[in-house]
Order: sequence, then structure tokens, then C-alpha cells
Amino acid sequence: MSIVEGSGTKSRLRAAISAIGLAGVGLIAVVVAFGDVIARVPAGAVKVGPPSLPPQVVYAFGTDALGRDVMSETVHALTVTFSSAVLATIIAIVVGAIAGFAAVRAPLRLGIALRGIMGVFGSVPVLLLAVVAVGIAGHEFAPIAAGLAASPSIFNRSFDRAMRLARSRHAEYARATGIPASTLLRRDLVYEVRGNFLNVAGRALASTTIALATLGFLGFGATPPHADLGLMIAAARATYLDQWWPALFPALALILLILFARLAAALDEGEPP
Amino acid sequence: MWRDWLLRAAQVIGSLLGALVLASLLATLSQPTHGFWPLLSVFCAKFMAALEGDFGRSAVTGARSMAAAVAAFPATLQLLTVGAVIALVIGIPLGIVLSASRALRAAAPLIEIIAAMPVFVAALALIWIAVRVLHWSDASQTSALSWTALVRSGGWNAAWQTFALPALTVGAAGAASVQLSLRRAAVRAWSAPYRNGLRMMGLGTLDIDLRYAVPEVIAALLRDAGEIALALISATAVAEWVFHRDGAAVLFLKSAAFGDWNVAAAVLFLFAIIKLVAEFLGLAASWLVAPDEGAA
Amino acid sequence: MNEPLLRIRDFTLTPVGAAKPAIEDFSLTLASGGTLILLGETGSGKGAVLRALAQPVSRSARASGTIQLRGHPEQPIRHMTAPGLRIAYLPGPHANVLNPHASVLSQLALIIARKLRQPKASARAELALALERLPGAPALEALDHPPALIAPEVLGAGLLAAAMAQTPDLLLADDPLGELSPAHARALASALKAEQKRLGFALLYSAARAEVANLLGGNLVVLRSGHIVEEGPASRLATAQSHAYTQTLFRAMSAGERQNPDRSAARGEPLLRVQGLQLTTRGKPTARAKLNFELRRGASLALIGEIGSGRRALARALLGLDPVAGGRIVFDQVDIGVLNATMMARLRRRVAFVTGDDDALDPRMTIFDTVAEPLRAHLAMPRDLVEHNRDAALKRVGLAASPGNRTVLSLSPFDRRRLQIARAIVSQPLLAVIDEPLRGLDAFAQSVVRDLLRNFRSNEGPALLVITSDFGLARAFCEEGFVFKDGQVVERGAIATLLHAPQDPHTRKLLDAVAALPVSVPEPLKPSVEAAPPVSEA
Repeated sequence: MSIVEGSGTKSRLRAAISAIGLAGVGLIAVVVAFGDVIARVPAGAVKVGPPSLPPQVVYAFGTDALGRDVMSETVHALTVTFSSAVLATIIAIVVGAIAGFAAVRAPLRLGIALRGIMGVFGSVPVLLLAVVAVGIAGHEFAPIAAGLAASPSIFNRSFDRAMRLARSRHAEYARATGIPASTLLRRDLVYEVRGNFLNVAGRALASTTIALATLGFLGFGATPPHADLGLMIAAARATYLDQWWPALFPALALILLILFARLAAALDEGEPP
Repeated sequence: MWRDWLLRAAQVIGSLLGALVLASLLATLSQPTHGFWPLLSVFCAKFMAALEGDFGRSAVTGARSMAAAVAAFPATLQLLTVGAVIALVIGIPLGIVLSASRALRAAAPLIEIIAAMPVFVAALALIWIAVRVLHWSDASQTSALSWTALVRSGGWNAAWQTFALPALTVGAAGAASVQLSLRRAAVRAWSAPYRNGLRMMGLGTLDIDLRYAVPEVIAALLRDAGEIALALISATAVAEWVFHRDGAAVLFLKSAAFGDWNVAAAVLFLFAIIKLVAEFLGLAASWLVAPDEGAA
Repeated sequence: MNEPLLRIRDFTLTPVGAAKPAIEDFSLTLASGGTLILLGETGSGKGAVLRALAQPVSRSARASGTIQLRGHPEQPIRHMTAPGLRIAYLPGPHANVLNPHASVLSQLALIIARKLRQPKASARAELALALERLPGAPALEALDHPPALIAPEVLGAGLLAAAMAQTPDLLLADDPLGELSPAHARALASALKAEQKRLGFALLYSAARAEVANLLGGNLVVLRSGHIVEEGPASRLATAQSHAYTQTLFRAMSAGERQNPDRSAARGEPLLRVQGLQLTTRGKPTARAKLNFELRRGASLALIGEIGSGRRALARALLGLDPVAGGRIVFDQVDIGVLNATMMARLRRRVAFVTGDDDALDPRMTIFDTVAEPLRAHLAMPRDLVEHNRDAALKRVGLAASPGNRTVLSLSPFDRRRLQIARAIVSQPLLAVIDEPLRGLDAFAQSVVRDLLRNFRSNEGPALLVITSDFGLARAFCEEGFVFKDGQVVERGAIATLLHAPQDPHTRKLLDAVAALPVSVPEPLKPSVEAAPPVSEA
């Protein structure tokens, strides 16, 4: 539930914010889909132009120390980051939100045991969990690692919410009139999806993007030539104090993706844990 | 009531044991085996040793893993503590201001726009501002020395220039979490029906806020101590890496990169302890502040 | 002293964002020791008058009119100050005016301390003293819990004591009797009148139901949509109203009690057969005799008693929701004691609930989904048939004009009650459990819900299990009744017998609480239904 309480005007405002966010994410998806056309050269192509050229007409985002076109590199890196983040988000929602809801319908002890296990995973920051997963399984595993690492906190929120719903008075009355558990589960999932899917998906996309970009920056993400935005920024770190453009444009792309994801969630700040 | 607290203590102990299991599972990776039963046997041995604080030896240096982790922790704790203080100093007033009126409450989620910046991007931006705008020394941003060593070697100014930015990075990340928690609680408290009811019955607004609303808000903030601790730990890990500080988080990252799972397990366990202890202490403190409300 | 305590002239208030005034050109005069009841439905403006006196008018609201307090010059009501005049506010126990987490005792003591400018310890002593003056009032320690853990009648007594401890000149009562059971409302009203006589304060009471006029007397002002439609002594208006709206209000109050219940012919096998049932209290069997009775298809049974008397425990036991210490319950020829959870759930498909609990419906669901869910879940009907039945049920309860995608959260308590009835209609139940269905509704809403329940019963013909503390409601719907106290059935029999020849003192107390109605009320809304032969019990 958003802290901006729902009234008519505020609901319309939230819908407008969400629409802007969705449009932004959609635009990024289009850029990603046509990335090979928008980027003039393939990923990692060196000596495309003179090295360390600042932004200008020919090279809108400039070139880096190896003569790579920063705009093309940014588009390719955005593609890697965005597609990884989408995969990670799907995993986080399936393993987190849906499993959290379904676990409440499991036998009580099993549900509570699962909640306890997820609580333990939730006591470690998402970033560190993702680092462990990548360290064990390899860099190619980064999107799955980010998704799995983000899922415990989503699982715990979903489980707690589903437990509150299952113990609510209206659920008790429904059971007293013979409404089966499957109908109640379907009721919860339908209304949670209808009411909250964009919020959950938007927040999950934002947090997995941050996790993936940070993994890339720390060297646990995608490897060249398929660099992601985090790795691009890390590579530009040595020279960015003088040549800001190889770091700034990927950072802006990253911030925009995260921002649009949060706007798509209508700036929902989530229920308190 | 005592039963509730015993239950919570049992939950914390259960969570600590769970964290120990997790760390032991990780440490099991340092001893490659084939087959389920050999793996289970190694895990059990690791777990039993971990119960006594023994996480084995580092595959890289040969030193005892827990000793290496504990040796690296003071620098991390230093950064974490200062970051937490900054988080509270910035986050609490920000949270109060942004929940003060309807207009500000409606505008508050726009803070999310600023929070869209990942920690490492914010850290690099701070460095750029410090070097290019404030003309601080570039070299000072990559010193691994502790605060006291910096003061001894370079004086207060050098120490300040070196330590300020990592602390500010961690503090800013923590402040976002603090103000969010505070605003959620403040909005709930300010819009509660009892405020109007008690006013009609004759209590003044200040009375109502000081006796009921403010303790509720503070208690809610304390209950979120675990989440805030997670945000701070995560930010500390990134800040240590960006600013080249030799703390436990960098040790963890290097261990994970080199597959030195004993050391990684020891550090992970220590971080889990910080989070769980912060959570429990936060719950206890929230009960002291607002005993009527009870912990979540 | 002949000068009135309070005089309001031409008070008009338009709240922030409202298109029209909540109250318009309202005037009143109230003498010391006098009683004035503002009677009206939700939205009539009575609450606006009370709030304007209890706290300063919001700066962003538009307000005009003047107020004159005894001994003070006339002043704009917006800038009302009342130095030297003690005003106390008395809410109802369900009004959510107190902090839900803090102890009621602590909050009331603080309020008294601030109003009387005393230390908190002295305020506690004042509260204790005020409680002692109320007959049958609880001990002070009974209030030392959060509001949700205190019974409504105990909380009501505590709130009254807190108001009395302030020795007010003017008491603003925001319908504190409204949601109490008739017995408790009567007791509290007596206590209030006794304190008024002792302290001599003026009472301004905001009421949603006309029964209050019988309990408190004084003068009555009838409000509708922010305007006064009629005013005069309560005793006169109770028997002879001039304005059609006032007549309708009083007629709506009396219609339920005057009408005999529809007597469906009891037919076929017993729907519910209970043999040797021993109830449990907190998991332990109660000591008294075991229950034996039958409820035939189409018949009705009232479980009458206060909250905590055991009536709901019996209902839950009958539906298999709680374990029983001993005995056998046969529902629709099936012994529920041998059923597993899945089979029990199938059996419960033939049960419907209509309850005064506003949380009974899922607030996320839409109107359409709420009514259609039983059809889809129990009967697996095709879509067009589901929609047809759904629309027919909504039309019957008067919700057809509401957009079907409106959520339950956005509905008023009245609409939610009607929606429950629509959901019960489509369920085609064998047994309908009716649990305080009129709670929290104003007079009109109550009469509509009563009529809908009667219509539901006569068309769908379920057996009824009515849980209530109000003998009037029991009489309106049931032929038989059990009277509960402290987890036990203290008396049972035909409702007519319980009404005219009660044996148990507790039954007599519950009967006394139902306000006696004046004889000459304008013609009833419907003709009386012929009484069917009483249902026999095992």
C-alpha cells in the first residue's frame, strides 16, 4: 500500500505516475529490442573512433580510452542489464511472491518452516547472497542469482500478507460457508495480482537491477564482450575524474531504468515488514 | 508478556542457528566431495565445528577463517557505526519533515527518485564532487588506513577527507531506509482516528502527539532496525570496495571471488549476527518506548 | 437562573471539499439540566453540530452562525471560546476515539487530569469515585486494558464515568447507547439520567435511532440532510408526529417489533438435531445440563443473550467450527462428528451468514464477485447463469444500480449488509445464521434490512438461527428461543411464551430492556402475517 493514501485525486495521480513508469520501461524495452540497430557497432568493438573523445556531433556520448563508441557500448550494456533484470524479476516473483502466497496453504508446520528458512536467507543482504550464488555457479548465473537473492524478502512479505488474509474475519466467514481453500487462494492471487502486480513487479525490477549492476561493478556480473552497465562504470572508474563521459552515460541509463521501474510501481514503498 | 519475549528470544536463537547452518553449507563448498552422503558428512562436521566458532582455515592464506574475519571487522564496524549515526542524523529529520503535512507527505515518494541511484554510483559521484569541486586530494579517496592511523599520519584534515565520503555514502543509503520507515509510521500515526477522538475528549494535540503518536513512530522505527541494518551492511560492502578500505566486506568479496568459502562463511555469519542482534535489540527498545503497542 | 445555558443561532457548516452544507441555518436553545436529542440518519448533520461544540471548527471549513453561552456575549461559532464552562464529550464504546494500544484507564485518567488541571493520581481517584456512583459499574482495574479487550458495556460505563468526573455543565453525547444491547443501553441510560439529576448538566445527545427518545426523554429535534424537519418534546413526538419524515422514522422503529414473524410451514425432516450437547467454555466442558433440541427445515430459532453469554459458542458448535465436550449434532441427516474437514466444508455450503460484522466480506472483492463467488465455487454454473442469478439477487436487495466493479471497501455498512443478503440469496442455503444484522445501522437502514431478511426467508425458505441480544429482533423472525447467560441456557421455549411469561430473572431483564412502544402509531407498513402453529422440539 502506498503511503500516498488512496483518494480519487491521489489514485488518479498514482495511475498517471505508473503510466509514465510503464512508458519509460517500454521505451527502454524498445531500445533494447532494436539495440543492434541503434548501436552502430557490435559490443566491445575497439578503435571505432579516436580515443577519449568527449561528446560531440559524430560521437554523441564520446569515445573511451580504447576508442569504443560510448553510445553503442551503453546500448549494448543496457540490453544485457535489462534482459538480466527481467529474468531476475520473473524468478523473484515466482519464487518470492507466488511461493509466499502458496506456502500459507501448505500444512502449517511446513509453511512456518519455509518462512523460517526464508527468514534466515533474509538476514543476509541481497547483494552478498547474490555474490555467493555467482561465486558458486559462475558469472553466467548472475541474473538467476540476483533473482534468487531478492526472493527471500519478497517471499517473507507475501507470506506474512497471505497469513494475515488467511486469518482474517472474511476468510473465516468464507470457510464457515464452505468456500474451498482453492477458491480462497484464487481469490487472494487474483486480487493481489490485480491490485499489486505492478507494484511488486516494479519494485522487484528496481531492486534486481540495482543488485545486477552492483554485481557487475564488483566484478561478479557479465563478462566482456557482454559487459553490463555496472562493469562499464567500473571500467571507466580509473579515468572518470578527467573523462567523465564513459562513466556518466551508463550511470544515467542505469538510473533511468531504476527510476522508471519505481515509477511503474507508482512509487509504492511497500508494506512495512 | 514474558511468554512473548521468550518466544522472540527463541526465534532469534533459531535464526542464529539458521545462519550458522547457512554458513556451514557455504563452508562445505571448500571441501569438494562427490555424492550426497559424503557431502552430508562434511556439512555435519562443519556445522559442529562452527558451533564452537571454528570455520576452518583460509584456502588462500592458511590462517584461521574466523580469526581473519574478526581481524577485518573493526574497520567495517567503524564505517558501519559512523554510517548509522549519519543515517539517523539525516534520516530522522527528513522523515519528520516529509510527514509533517499532506503536501509534503504526497511529495515524499519523490525521494525515491533520488534513491534510484545505486550506492556505487552515488559513491563515485561524491568522489568526483570532492576532487573536482572541493579540490580534495585524489589519493585520499583510496586510502585503506583506519581513522586513527590517518590522524596520526596525515592529521585531522587528511583523516576527514579520507573518511568522510565512505561514511557519507553509507549514511546516505541508511538515511533512505530510516526516513522511509519513519514516514510509514508517521503517516499511520498522524491519520489514526484516535487523534481526533482524544482531541474531542479534551486532550491537546501536543499531549496526544507526545504521549501516543511520537512513541508509536519511534517504536515503529526501532522495529525496523533489522531492515535498516541490512541496508547499512549492503552499503558498507559497496563503500569499502569503492574506497579501497580493507574491511570485512572486501574480505568477503575477495573470498567469494577466489572460492575461499571458509572465510566467506565466517564473514557472512558475522554479518547475519549483526542483523539479527540489531533486529532483536530494536524490538526490545520498541517495547520500552511503547510497551502498550507491543512489538510486531 | 432563567438564562439558557446554550443558544445557537443560524449555524451553517460546509466541510472541506463538500458540495453542500452538512448543517444549515440550525438553531437551538438548551437550558441547564435540560435534555435535547438530535435525531437523524447518517448525513443528517447531527454529528456536525456536536463536533462544532466539542472542538474548534476546522479553519478550512466554511462556518457561520453564532453561539451564546450563559454569562457570555454572543460570539461567532467558528471562534467559540467557553471560559468557565465545563464541556465534556461522551462517545460510544465502538467509536474508536481512544488509542487502540494504550490502556483505557490511563487515557481516561489523563483526560480528566487535563480537564480538571489535576495530577494524574488525583484524576484516577476521581474516575474511581465516578465509577462507584454508577450502579453495576465495573471496578477501575477492569478498564486497565486496551479498548479492544474491554466489553462494550464496561467501556461505555468507563467513558460515562470519565465524563461525570469532569462535573460538566454541558455533556455532548455522541450516541453512546446506540450500539449497546437493549439491556445495557437501558442500564447506561438510567445511570446517565441519574447523574444528570445529581449534577444538573445539560445534555445534548446525537441519536440515530428513535428508541433513545424513549430512554432519555427531554426535547427532540429531527434532522434531515442538514435541516430541522420537526422538533418538540420527545414524549409528544413519540406518539404524534406532524412531519411525514418523522412519522417514517418512528414507524421504522416500531415496524419490526409490531410485526409477527413470517411463519413458514415447518416441513420434512429436522434439519438440525442436537442430542446431549455439552458446550465448552475456554475448552472446558460447562457443568450444567446437556442440550437436546431440533430445528426443522424452514423453522427458526433465536439464541438470545449478551456478548459473551455463550450464544455464539452454541452457533459455532452447531456448525462444527468449534469442538464440543460431548453430544451429537446431526445436520441434514449427517452426524458432523464423523466428518473430516473436506466433508464438513461441503456440508457448510448449505449455510449462509448475514452478520453485523462489517469485516465479514472481503474488502478487496467487487460487488459482482462477492455475489457470484458462491455460485461459481459451489454450483459450477455457466457464466451466463451466474450473471443472471447475480443480477437478480442484487436487484432484490436494491444494489442493482451500484456499479458492479465497486469494491466492498468503498461501501457503507448498510450496503455491505445488503450485499451479504444478496450473497445469501444466491447460496440457496438450508440454514441461514443471522447474527446481529442491524448493528450500527440507523433507523431507515434497519427497517430496510429487516424487510430484506423477511423477503429472503419467505422466498428462499431457509431455517434461521438468529443470534441477538434484542428480543424485538428475536420476536420478528423466530418462533422459538434460547436465552443465554454465562455460557448456559437459562430459559427456552416459544418466543411468545418467553415474552409474556418469562420465568428466569435474566430473561425478564432482557425483556425490560426493550423499550416499550406507545400504542397509537400510524398504520403499519405491512399487514400482519398469520401465525403458523409453533414448531415442536425434541
